[in-house]
Amino acid sequence: MTALLETHDLVKNYTIGGELVHAVNGVSLRIDQGEFVAIMGASGSGKSTFMNMIGCLDVPTSGTLMLDGIDTSTLDSDELAEIRNRKIGFVFQQFNLLARTSAIDNVAVPLIYAGVRPAERRQRAIARLEAMGLGHRMQNTPAKLSGGQQQRVAIARALVTDPLILLADEPTGALDTQTSLDIMGIFQKLNDEGITLIVVTHEPDIAEYAARRIVFRDGKVIEDAAVSSRRRAGEP
Amino acid sequence: MSDLLGALSGWSVNVAIAFTALRTNLMRSILTTLGVMIGVFSVILAVAVGNGAQVSVTQQIATLGSNMAIVVPEPERGNGPPRPGDRGRLTERDGEAIARQVPGVIAVAPQLRTSVQMVIGGRSANTQAVGSTEAFGSISNLDTSDGRFITRSDVGAATRVAVIGQTVADKLFVDVNPIGQTVRINRVPFTVIGLLESKGSNLGNDNDDQIIVPITTLRQRLSTATGQGPDDVTLLFVGFEDEETLVAGDREIKALLRDRYRVSKGKITPFTVRTTKEIAETSGQVTQIFQAVLVAIASISLLVGGIGIMNIMLVSVTERTREIGLRMALGAKRSDIRNQFLVEAAVLCIIGGAIGLLLAMVAAAIFQQVADFPAPIGWDTALFAIAFSAVIGLAFGGYPAIRASRLSPIEALRSE
Repeated sequence: MTALLETHDLVKNYTIGGELVHAVNGVSLRIDQGEFVAIMGASGSGKSTFMNMIGCLDVPTSGTLMLDGIDTSTLDSDELAEIRNRKIGFVFQQFNLLARTSAIDNVAVPLIYAGVRPAERRQRAIARLEAMGLGHRMQNTPAKLSGGQQQRVAIARALVTDPLILLADEPTGALDTQTSLDIMGIFQKLNDEGITLIVVTHEPDIAEYAARRIVFRDGKVIEDAAVSSRRRAGEP
Repeated sequence: MSDLLGALSGWSVNVAIAFTALRTNLMRSILTTLGVMIGVFSVILAVAVGNGAQVSVTQQIATLGSNMAIVVPEPERGNGPPRPGDRGRLTERDGEAIARQVPGVIAVAPQLRTSVQMVIGGRSANTQAVGSTEAFGSISNLDTSDGRFITRSDVGAATRVAVIGQTVADKLFVDVNPIGQTVRINRVPFTVIGLLESKGSNLGNDNDDQIIVPITTLRQRLSTATGQGPDDVTLLFVGFEDEETLVAGDREIKALLRDRYRVSKGKITPFTVRTTKEIAETSGQVTQIFQAVLVAIASISLLVGGIGIMNIMLVSVTERTREIGLRMALGAKRSDIRNQFLVEAAVLCIIGGAIGLLLAMVAAAIFQQVADFPAPIGWDTALFAIAFSAVIGLAFGGYPAIRASRLSPIEALRSE
């Protein structure tokens, strides 16, 4: 296995109201290609801050972060934007689709910033939406889609640039139980196809769909182990 | 090549994003555009009116004749108000001397003016009678559209003939060819021998409201002036070969007249020589200042429009902070975000500019009809208007756009 992501003594401090907060306080871990990792922890445990740093949305205060063999601390804002565009796909709790914009145009957004031409953007967006079972909903705007459909559009958007890692922050937080299971099923299928998945969640049963569970508390990793009784979507 | 296509498609995407955003807040977009529209409208109209003034002045100068000097028996301005004793005399013999002695002079035409009343049948007209010689036509670019001009023999024999302007003809004759008709001018019968080519009017001054008669006839039959010598004239028109002799002629004429009237050294010259070149230059400067002032005043409204753009773009950036964060997460570089908002501001301004330009064209056309004053808007002005609106957009949209591009992706994503 190759290390896709490796952190060494990663630290992130904030100053809030004149008080120094150690949001992430010395995290060293390694995630290999093809893993399916669930990151758990109470709110304020530092799991989201850690997630934002490995997603190159936020920069560490100290420590190193190697992503696909690149030391991200050496990159400027344009290079980080390119990493986010090419290597990482994001899925958010609130879906974060552009309002008044069709599903197809939403999915094509990352390709704009990748400099892909319009005809090819369209073609690739259609392929991703069809793979998500949304071939009949491509012209709909988010307001005309259910929560589950919106999240599937968001997953199609995350995958459209063929990233190495999919980062999902509470992807089922705004969905009902059945739809949540559907989404986890999609994630497992994608993982079977070889994509690396990192899912942040506070729901223990959602974490059971992953293969590895990392638990955060007070900015540190307190547990990192394989999921003992892994669930498969579609199984009771 | 593919980079270029990629860049172009990036811009077209930004234009599409801009239109979506502007449509979303349609009322706000329209009101913001209104500011730019009014600004561009007033600047373009100011430019048009200024251009019109310039065209009008150029036309007026062309009607004077191309290389011509006018000699007036008054001391030059700039020495305080004229005193009664300042006014000198000028005679036909002075004109003859100028024609003989000043280099480059083609011809000299004296001029004597008086107000007259013309009557034919039951109709009458009050106008200016200009007494001159056959040379007047060629020097001052006057030609007849019908009939003939006064001749040397008309002047020699003091015949009672008149060449009349179009306005005068319109007042006196309906459905009758004026040529050959007998008109009473201050009760003296005259024969109309020609119709002056119409020169239109400049700035309210009708060039067609005059008649031309031989100077000898005017002096004997029409002049009401008293206390004048037998060959005194109001002014002299001097026609020159070219611009070079005209420029030198100014000094030559003054020197000659000082000599003829024995003006001692140190005393001011009691004559003013104005050349068409000077008149053109002075008028050009005046109209340029006039135009600059107009444009400066109009620019203030454009500035206000630009500030409106900046204000609304700042609001737009604040409202769409989350969208900016999302776009950054999906791979937008700072320059992509900056360009997106720049294009939005430019689109607002170009739409406003285009509408403002159209309204200015309509207003200029109406102005031209109503005020009989040219206000041309050329392609260059139109292109300038559009380009200038885009520049306003970029200038006033620049700060909000840069502010948007400097947002931290994670803080932008977290904002509500």
